[in-house]
This record gives sequence, structure tokens and C-alpha cells, in this order.
Amino acid sequence: MIDAIPIPGIIQAILVLIMITGALIVTRKDLLSLLSMYRLQSLLLMFLALVLYAESGNYVLLQMAVLTLASKVLLIPYIIRRMQKEINISKDISFHYISPAYSLFITVALIFFSYYSLSKTLNELTDNKLFYLGAVFGISLALMGMMVTFSRKKIVTKTIGYLMMENGALIFSIFITELPFLIEVLIIIDLVILVLLAAILAVGMDSSIEEFQAKLERIKHPARNGGTH
Amino acid sequence: MIMFTSLFYLGIFLSLLGFVLPLLRLENNRKAHRTFSYSLSILSSVSFLAFSALVFLKKGEYLIPVYSNAGLIDFTFYVDQLSAFFIAVISVVSLSSAVYSFGYGEHLSHERRKDYMASLLNLFALSMVLVVASYNTLEFIFFWELLSMSSFLFVLFEYGKPGTRKAGLYYFIMTQLSTMFLLLGFFGIYANTGSFNIQPVTSLQNLTLIFLSLFIGFSIKAGVVPFHKWLPYAHPAAPSNISAMMSGVMLKVAIYGLMRFTLTVLPQERWWGVLILVAGTVSAILGVIYALKEHDIKRLLAYHSIENIGIILIGFGLYLIYSANDLNELAILALAAALFHTLNHALFKSLLFLTAGSVVSATGKHNIEEYGGLIKTMPYTAALFLIGAVSISGLPPFNGFVSELMLFQAFLGSYLIQDPLLKSLVVLCLSGFALTSALAAACFVKAFGITFLAVPRSESARDAKEVGKCMIAGAVIPAVLCIVLGVFSLQIFSLMGYRTDLPDMLVIGIIMSLFYAITYLVLKNTAANKVRAGETWGCGTPLSSRTEYTASGFSQPIVRFFKDIYQTREVNERRFYDKQNTLFKEGAGEIHLMKFFEEKLYDPVARSINYLSIKVSALENWSLDTYVLYAFLAVLATVAYVGWIA
Repeated sequence: MIDAIPIPGIIQAILVLIMITGALIVTRKDLLSLLSMYRLQSLLLMFLALVLYAESGNYVLLQMAVLTLASKVLLIPYIIRRMQKEINISKDISFHYISPAYSLFITVALIFFSYYSLSKTLNELTDNKLFYLGAVFGISLALMGMMVTFSRKKIVTKTIGYLMMENGALIFSIFITELPFLIEVLIIIDLVILVLLAAILAVGMDSSIEEFQAKLERIKHPARNGGTH
Repeated sequence: MIMFTSLFYLGIFLSLLGFVLPLLRLENNRKAHRTFSYSLSILSSVSFLAFSALVFLKKGEYLIPVYSNAGLIDFTFYVDQLSAFFIAVISVVSLSSAVYSFGYGEHLSHERRKDYMASLLNLFALSMVLVVASYNTLEFIFFWELLSMSSFLFVLFEYGKPGTRKAGLYYFIMTQLSTMFLLLGFFGIYANTGSFNIQPVTSLQNLTLIFLSLFIGFSIKAGVVPFHKWLPYAHPAAPSNISAMMSGVMLKVAIYGLMRFTLTVLPQERWWGVLILVAGTVSAILGVIYALKEHDIKRLLAYHSIENIGIILIGFGLYLIYSANDLNELAILALAAALFHTLNHALFKSLLFLTAGSVVSATGKHNIEEYGGLIKTMPYTAALFLIGAVSISGLPPFNGFVSELMLFQAFLGSYLIQDPLLKSLVVLCLSGFALTSALAAACFVKAFGITFLAVPRSESARDAKEVGKCMIAGAVIPAVLCIVLGVFSLQIFSLMGYRTDLPDMLVIGIIMSLFYAITYLVLKNTAANKVRAGETWGCGTPLSSRTEYTASGFSQPIVRFFKDIYQTREVNERRFYDKQNTLFKEGAGEIHLMKFFEEKLYDPVARSINYLSIKVSALENWSLDTYVLYAFLAVLATVAYVGWIA
């Protein structure tokens, strides 16, 4: 945990910007801008780690910044972008349960909800108001990511929602929990995402989740579905 | 001390050996292995019996360590007078059931089933002994579940027969409910004391909740109304030697639990006695009333178990009431009556189930309407059944009479209670109890008369043959004890150092025997001895078994009298040839008895749970998005909860 932050203004600004990218991910339909927002969010996250590193001198934070840049700013968006080009879809216009307009309201509500619900618990963990804000934003971002995961139909969008959840968890970890543990978790989650992406790539990225399941069924039971082998 | 505990260890070892041996399925001579397993069961029962008798007479308390593993698993047993008494009761009934099983077990249809019977019998008996000897609540639950599991397997033993699966399901659900309530109570005690040991607790938070949990948990297993419904299903479904043990002693294990926790663990409150007394009275009355309309012989006996558990609870409730009112002598009398009736019921009910099992085994029928005249073909079974019937009906000089008399004596001291309301309640319960005794006698006149007297009413009853020696010997043990405990009751109580106001049943027995002998001699010498052969007048129709007094006919006036309780519905349909309804064509009359508790309590609860399950199932729609939504809501709820409790 970081002990003292003399430049809270910068950190606050970065956190707010991250939340704005989160809100945009929740509402945008255009896949290209969704991906850009995610990339921007990850970049902001990297800056956050760098600023904190500059302050605390904790070497792990630098590692984390580099890892974030390599994986979330460059590698993952690159893979998704390439797939997007190949399958030639640009918009995710169908929604489950919540429309984008309502999503935005819910996002605001989620931040307030987290803020008030966790005020007592987090105040016991940290006296620093900034840490508290970071933790609340982290949880809110994770919840927003979850909301994207269940409210969107295209797998690309769901994946971005999942990645956003992980970003939220990362922010929460930076401000509240211990760092070495965090690095381990980070790597594991990233691996899971890679496996998930690999699975999607193997079956086809243009599909919605129902089609994905149907394809899986065809692979599992070829005879029942008219397969030849 | 060393000898005491070695007897206990020996009993456990022999039972475990008897459990394992038939399961090994050694190919050479499996029957010999089963016989050996039953013999081990007998030996372990004798061992436990000797152990408990010594503990009981020495009035000591013994801690017996068996296995302990770093405090996590601790099989240490504790035996005092109360547990020794119950171990003795369990052992006697297990002993007679094992002897009976030598013959009965070999009548079963498959070799494998015979093996399981021999094996599980040992496990069943052992688990009961170990529940009673448990020193901590974790042990108690462990052996309680072992008991439930082994008895559940017995209920499903003849799973191919119609109704058995329903019985199994009922039993399983009810027994698990019972465990759930017990766990709630035990954890309640643990939350207060931080210990799982079964030992006195001076002050408790949530005492009422803990007591009610334990009371409901034990009542379900004991078959107290309204938690009794599993009993009339499960007991007839199980093999008869097991029904004898289930009814005779398994229900008593629950009574033991209630007594143990109420008497020695929890600090008593005044209203507990009232609750137990009322529950006991209701069970006793409804048990016997339902038994009266029952024609399945084993189900009839099962209902009588509900009645007798009620009687035991009446005694225990009176004990608590008198204790709370500082009427200590009366309290001890009521407790002695309850405990003595526990023993007596174990004996005569196992005797009745064993002999009923012989009848079912000989005829292949459960319905007493299809018996008749069995006294001629099965004289020993008839005589043994009669002893059981007379004992349960509470007729002198048998044991049932003595315990019921003690209970009446305890009731009659109720005028010493100060509180007028409580006094009125006790008197009301007394009248209920008196009614119960009378109805039980009526019921067994029916059961014995319709089963054994007159002429056979079915082919199978006509062809029935007396059962083998082992099955008779198994029933002789409780029969002899029924007589001995009745006739020598005063002497036995004096030997144990308990002073009672009981009449000397030995003297009464001798007087009654003399009276019967003199009456017989006088009648033999004075009555007309000439045998006159002649045909009974039968209104011009030939007399057959169809014109006999039937069980339905016998109980019809009582069923009519209690029709509000049975909720009887009579249907009479008549059709005529002409419009003026003068020329009768055909008709049908039916009497339907409503299964009150099943239709009004169990079914609605089951339907509600079913409805809820359907609603919950509807949440599952095979969509990933929906499941993530649920996870999202769960996280929100968790965050809200964390905020709320902080």
C-alpha cells in the first residue's frame, strides 16, 4: 500500500478520466470506439501506476505499468482490432436487459451506491481520502464491466466488459491491497483472458453468444447435428 | 471400572464385526456367515446389556475414550444412569430381534438381501447405542445420522413393493428435517458455551429458540403429532424385525435426546412441561384414534407407537410441571412412570411387531380383514400376541398396567398444584389419558379378535402355518419380560431403592390366577357339559366367513363417534328401476376417511415448496447473460450487506 501522496490532484484527475472512459464503454455501440476507449482506459491506468511509482518508488508499480502497456494498451487491443477487421463487423446494436441510456444512469447510481455502502468499511482500512476514492472507483468500474458483460450480445463487447472488470479490480488492488499478490492475480487474469480469446477465435468472433453455444454443441455432438464424423 | 469399559468396547467390536462379515460376500457358505453375524449381534447385545446393568446398579458415571484425533474427531463416550437405562432397553430389543432374525432373515427373497439384513442389523443397533452414549453433540449428530441412514435403508429394503418408495421418501425428508432442527439447537448451545460437550449449561441466550429446535427435532424422530406422518408409512414398509426395533427403540432414542437435553443440559423453564404434556396428550389421543380405524396390522401398531410416545411424553411433561412447582416426590413418580413406560413400550411393541411379522410372513397379507382363525394354525404366535395386546392395553398384572397406574397416581397428585389454570390443564390431560387407555384396549380387542379368532377369511389365512422356532423364541424374550416386569414390579423397584405406592402385583397376579382357575373349575363342573351339535341360524342364508364380524364392522361405531376427527365422508348411491324410487336396482355405500394431517398440513407445505422450486427453476434459462446478471446482483447485494453491517 502506498503511504503518502503529495500530488493527489493528478491522481484524482486520472481516476475521473478512467471513469469517463468506463461510462463511454457502457454506452457506445461502435466497436471501434469501444476498443479505443478500452485502450485509453488502460493507458490511463498505466499513467496512474507511473505517477504512484514516481511518488512511492515502489519498483513493482513500474513493472505493472510496463505490463499494462504491453498487454492492455498494445497486445490485446491489437488482436481484437485485427479480428474485427477480418470479420468485418463494426457495431454492437443489440442489448440485453438494459439500454445504453439507462446504463449511464445506473453507472452513476453504482458509483454513489459503492461510495455510501463502503464508506464505513473502507474508512477502517485507510485514512487517506484518495485511497478511499480509488477503491470506490475500482469497485464501480468492475461493476460497470460486469454490466457490459451481461447487457451486450456481441462477444467482442462482452470481452471488453470483462477486461474492464479486470481494470477495476486492478485499481482497487493498487489502493487497498498488497502489491506482490496483485501481480500474481494480474498475470492469472490476463492468462484467462487470453484463453478466452483463443477459444473465441477458434470458433468465430462474429457470433453472438447463442450462436457460439450452438457451434459448441455441433462440435460436441456431431452425429446429432448432422455431422459426418 | 476396567471391566465396565471392556464390556462396552467388546460390544462395539462385536457389532462392527457382525456388520462387516456379511458384506465381505465370502462365497463358501454365506448362510453360515449370516448366522455368525446374527450371533455376534446377540453377543454384543448381551455385552451392552451387562455393561448397562452394572452402570445402572453402581449409579456411576463413566467416560470411555475410544478414538481422538487432535480435538477434531473425538469419540469419547459418556454413560450415566440415564444412558445406561436406554442402552439396556436398546440391547434387550436388539437381542430379541436378532434371535427372531435367524428365522425371519432367511425368508427374504435374495441372497444379497439376506446378507444386507444381517449386516445392517448390527449397524442399526450399534448406532442407537452410540447415540445414547455420545459425550458431545458432534458425535451425537454423527451417530444420529448413521442411525437415520441405516434405518432409511431398511425402510427401502423391499423397494419393489408398492408404497415403499413413498415411505422411504417421507422418512428421508422427515429425518433430515429432524437433523436440521437438532443442528440448529446444538449450534445454539455451542454459540453460548463454545463447547460441543453435552454438559450442564447455566445461562443461555436464545434459550427458547434452542429448546424449541431440539423439541421439534426430537419430536419428528419420536413421531409426536403433528410430525408423525412418516411413522405409519415407514414402519409397515420395513421388515418386521426392524419395525420392532424402529418402533421399540429407535423412537426411544429421540425420547432419550429430549430427556438428556432438557434434564441435564439446559436450564429448565416453566412452560416446557406444559408444552410437552399437551403434545403428549394430543399424540396419545390421536394416535389411538387413528389406530382404531386402521386395518393394516403393522400400520395399526405404528399408530399405537405414536400413542405410547404420547404417554411417555405425558409422564415427562408432568415431571417438569411438578419440578417447577416444587412437588418433588410427584415429579420423581412421573419421571419413573415415563421411564418405566419407555421400557415397557419397547418390550410389548417389539413383541407385537415380531408376532405381527410372523403373521404377515405366514399369510403374505397385511390387512387384518384377510386373517381370521389363526389361533388354530399359529397357536404360539397367537398366545404371544395376546400377551403383547394385554400388556399394551394396560391390563393387570402385566407391565403396561403398572406404568399406566404410576402415571395415573402422578396425575392424581395434581390437586397440589397452586396455579388453578395449570391444575385445570393437568386434569383435562388426565381425562384424555384415561380415554386413551380405554380406546387402546378396544383397539386390541379388534386386532386380536379379528386376526386370531373365528374362521379364516382368506385362502392364505387358511393355509397359514406356525412360524419356526427362532421366530417364536425371538418373541418369547419380550413376552417373558412383559410378565416379569408386571408381576414383580414392586420387587424390582424396591431392589433399585425406589419406594412406590404400587400394589404388589405378585399378590394380584396370584389372586387373579386363582379367580380364573376357580371360575374355570366351577363352570366345568356345573355348566351343561353335553355337546349339542346344531346349525347356527343365519336368516336362511349359508354362514361363511363373509358373515363374520369384520374389523370395519367392529370399529364402525367408534369411527362414527369420532367422525369429526376423522373427517369422514359417507357416500350412498342408490339406483332404482322406476321413477318413484320404489324398485331398488343397485347401490353402493362408501366411507372415506380424510388423511387430515397429510391433506391439511404436509401436502400444502409440499405444494408451497414445489411452487417455490418451479419459480426458482424459472430463473434458470440457459443464457449466459442472465447468469452474469445474477452474479452482478449478488455482488451488489454483498456490497450493500457489507455497508449495512459495518
